[in-house]
Amino acid sequence: MTSTIASVPPADEERRTGARRPAGPGPRRGTGLTPRWLPWLLLAPALAVLGGLLLYPLYRVLVLSLQDFGLRQLVTGESQWVGLDNFAELLTDPLLWKVALPNTVVFAVVNVVLTVGLGTLVALLLARVGVWTRGVLTSAIMVAWAMPAVTGTYVWVLLFDPRSGMVMRGLSTLGLVDPDTTNWFTERLPFYAIATLNVVHHGFPFVAVTVLAALMTLPQELMEAAELDGAGAWRRFWSVTVPLLKPVFAVVTILSTIWDFKVFTQIYLMPGGSGTNRDVLNLGTWSYITAISQNRYGLGAAIAVLLTALLLVITAVYLRTLFRQEEL
Amino acid sequence: MSQLTAPQTLTPQPPSGRRAAPRRGRRRGGSRVLVALGCAAVLAFSLFPVLVMLTTAVDARANDGSTSLLPTDLTWDNFRFVLDEGGFTTYLVNSLFVALSTVVVSSLLALLAAVAVARFVFRFRTALLVMVLVIQMVPMEALVIPLFIQAKNLGMLNHLLGLVIVYVAFSLPFAIWMMRGFAAAIPKEVEEAAYVDGASWPRMFWSVLLPLCAPGLVATSVFSFITAWNEFVFAITFMNDQDSYTVAAGLRQFFTQYGTDWGAVMAGSTLITLPVMIFFILVQRRLSSGLVAGAVKG
Repeated sequence: MTSTIASVPPADEERRTGARRPAGPGPRRGTGLTPRWLPWLLLAPALAVLGGLLLYPLYRVLVLSLQDFGLRQLVTGESQWVGLDNFAELLTDPLLWKVALPNTVVFAVVNVVLTVGLGTLVALLLARVGVWTRGVLTSAIMVAWAMPAVTGTYVWVLLFDPRSGMVMRGLSTLGLVDPDTTNWFTERLPFYAIATLNVVHHGFPFVAVTVLAALMTLPQELMEAAELDGAGAWRRFWSVTVPLLKPVFAVVTILSTIWDFKVFTQIYLMPGGSGTNRDVLNLGTWSYITAISQNRYGLGAAIAVLLTALLLVITAVYLRTLFRQEEL
Repeated sequence: MSQLTAPQTLTPQPPSGRRAAPRRGRRRGGSRVLVALGCAAVLAFSLFPVLVMLTTAVDARANDGSTSLLPTDLTWDNFRFVLDEGGFTTYLVNSLFVALSTVVVSSLLALLAAVAVARFVFRFRTALLVMVLVIQMVPMEALVIPLFIQAKNLGMLNHLLGLVIVYVAFSLPFAIWMMRGFAAAIPKEVEEAAYVDGASWPRMFWSVLLPLCAPGLVATSVFSFITAWNEFVFAITFMNDQDSYTVAAGLRQFFTQYGTDWGAVMAGSTLITLPVMIFFILVQRRLSSGLVAGAVKG
């Protein structure tokens, strides 16, 4: 039985020669049994929701970014075109170049590397242990995964809280920090280090589970052959496992990149993250605060458009990867 | 028919439990110690925040700052406080209503759409799939601005139904993507057998595709439930009225200008987190296979 997972490494020869894959489910062309409009009927409700609540607002945010739209416009409903003024203001703001963009990009890169790295290590570990141990560990990482962003963030904030935090208290007991003068949330680097712990804790289970599933589909014979040829564990990982799992790594890396680029709740809920400390803003929180808290909807929309454009570039890379795999 | 199409044989099988312990022992002693250490580290890192949450929630001295991993002075007062005075009973009911409504609507729409793209070839099918993928990447923060303005104009602020509509939209792309993996894994022959037996398409859908998609529906339901239950941005933007808070938004009131009631925050967090975790662990096999079907199969 060809399961979905089993078809992960694309069967290239089969595709090239046009041979049918064994038990290949594949979609069907109309055989006269079903009317041609049937798929569209099935799609209609989903398309209506996606169009009305995702595509139309996306168009609206683009329009808003070209308008002067503040509290008064929100009340009266009228608005004024200002062309690219919002973008000019945004692109000349040092906050973008010195704070928001570096915070967004550096944080995403660091977190993707850590999440995918740790997730892969955990997957390799899970593949080695016995069934019972694996069950226990999988349940534990599921717990980390299931922890909502809101409550997870609060726990990490509590841990590093200058007054009640366990980490801070422990360190001050050891005489390493002075809790009266230390606040790790006021500076960018420690702030984002705590956010990194939070996001990696929340994100590595997805990578671990996905990579493990792919590891289990690898033909055991290849590993044994490599072992017979004298390849060590390190060599086997880089020369056999990694090339075979490339598509999976591509997918988890790109999905993590997208998630870590637009991380919002985890930043917004940390002390200072909701706008009181501008040093820790990233594009997502900046856009939200500008629009919703300061009622500058036009400028907030421009920031949102910039973030979306960045994400679309990454999505384009994602799609290219998928198309190269011929999985669509 | 049923013996022919036992659903579990068609689901992408999750990793755990499939294979007997692969080549254990026979390794050098050093790597066994390393594996044991690794297991301990994974357990500790995964569970540490949860342990801190639970301990703080049941410790009477939570706000004095405790460095103990286990509660020193056990109490249920924090829970009593958040449920009675903190309004959490209302928030839990609100969240449950929003999340369950989202699950029902989103799973149904995702199932129909996934069957369409997985089992038919039609014009613009690839374009459609690309569109679903692309809009999945759009950040919520970009859409919260126009949707807030829209909801305000329509008078939908402070209505739970407004949140449901938004959450359905946000969970739908990934739900379709996930369901599609399950719907595509059903062999064509099963479907054709139903036609040979004289079934119409709706009949075939109801008695063949739907039962076989059931595991996928479980996975999508968990996914949409968690999306709705955990969502924060729209919950705080659309809901200004305390009576319409969801749990994720309700926690904020324990942070005041006079300080933070950490005992209450963690008791509330426990009430939010535990149901989701239990649910998650119960369906983890289905869920991980669903995610793999969605993310890897592409």
